[in-house]
Amino acid sequence: MPVVTATLTLIIFAAGTAAGTLGALLGLGGGVFLVPFFNLVLGFPFSASAAISLTTVIATSSTVSAGRTGKQLINMKLGMLLEVATAAGSFLGGVTAQFVSQSVLQKLFGFVAVIVALIMLSRLRRRNVILDPAADPGVLGGRFHEDESGGTVTYRVKRLPLAVVASFVAGNVSSLLGIGGGIIKVPVLNAWCGIPLRAAAATSAFMIGVTATAGATIYYGHGQLEPTLAAAAVLGVQLGSWGGMRFGAAASAKWLKILMAAALFIVSAMMFMRGGR
Amino acid sequence: MSADRGSGRSAPRAGAATLERTVGTVLRAGVIASSVCLAVGLALSLFTGGGVVTGILLNTGIVVLLATPVVRVIVSTVQYVSERDWAFATLTFIVLLELAASAIAALVLNRRG
Repeated sequence: MPVVTATLTLIIFAAGTAAGTLGALLGLGGGVFLVPFFNLVLGFPFSASAAISLTTVIATSSTVSAGRTGKQLINMKLGMLLEVATAAGSFLGGVTAQFVSQSVLQKLFGFVAVIVALIMLSRLRRRNVILDPAADPGVLGGRFHEDESGGTVTYRVKRLPLAVVASFVAGNVSSLLGIGGGIIKVPVLNAWCGIPLRAAAATSAFMIGVTATAGATIYYGHGQLEPTLAAAAVLGVQLGSWGGMRFGAAASAKWLKILMAAALFIVSAMMFMRGGR
Repeated sequence: MSADRGSGRSAPRAGAATLERTVGTVLRAGVIASSVCLAVGLALSLFTGGGVVTGILLNTGIVVLLATPVVRVIVSTVQYVSERDWAFATLTFIVLLELAASAIAALVLNRRG
């Protein structure tokens, strides 16, 4: 467990602010940047890093989802159905993390970071699903008003089993590695399950609160979560994502993604080097 | 029969709007309450070096943060039960059981050391 000092607290607050800003600009939670910073730069144990990161993930999920309710962007029924899978994955991941060595977790993080970077690069040009607004959305589908086009978007959910599997894997990776897991779910929901990107992102962000809670509870109960440092990280991320959403022009998102993908490749290489020892 | 089906179709839509509002309120309240506890606790720990009150505030903030999604699931279960939407009442209840399993696992692991 890291020793808490005022300097360390301020460093973590600043790191949280940076991760929150980046996360808001990229549409990510920011955990994928916080965990390597804690583990590789500050030298915290992997479990302590994941625990702090997961608390920021919960805060982001609750804040973002609270702001989005009432717009029908969050598909609550689909979210709650997939939560069954994601919470199971998260529970198993949280328990497994207690028995797996740090070097295995570092290698797994290195592997996932490469995948995240590749997904980011492959989605530089976002495409949306365009559907007939008069279509019947069914039990799990949805309908929302899109501000940009001024029209109503209606969609049905396709390939539900795939969405369930992706949610389970995302939950598992989330509590093992301390990230939200949206980067795994959103592309699957959007590309294969017929869910428009904005609805997929909103629904994923909504589910992540439950996912991260299942994982974070295990770390917290096991005494691996340092409250002062978690407070600094959570408040930093809240401030950063507020600023990122307020001032971040999405115009430069393409270059930001390329930059972050490059950063993730470096993080991945460092994790492999550290984990290989 | 057809009238019954008609009301059954409009009730969930009204229920969905109610649920979305309630969920929004729960999440907002949780975020504000936990952020205030964490901010005051953090300020105390930085400026006074911490103490019993600081520890209580910080841990309360963390617990409220962790409890917020759980309360959101409980509220959803209650709403689906009141709508007699048994499929989703069951699904949300399973999620609650999974969250309870995490809490139990945490306690067991803690006891093991």
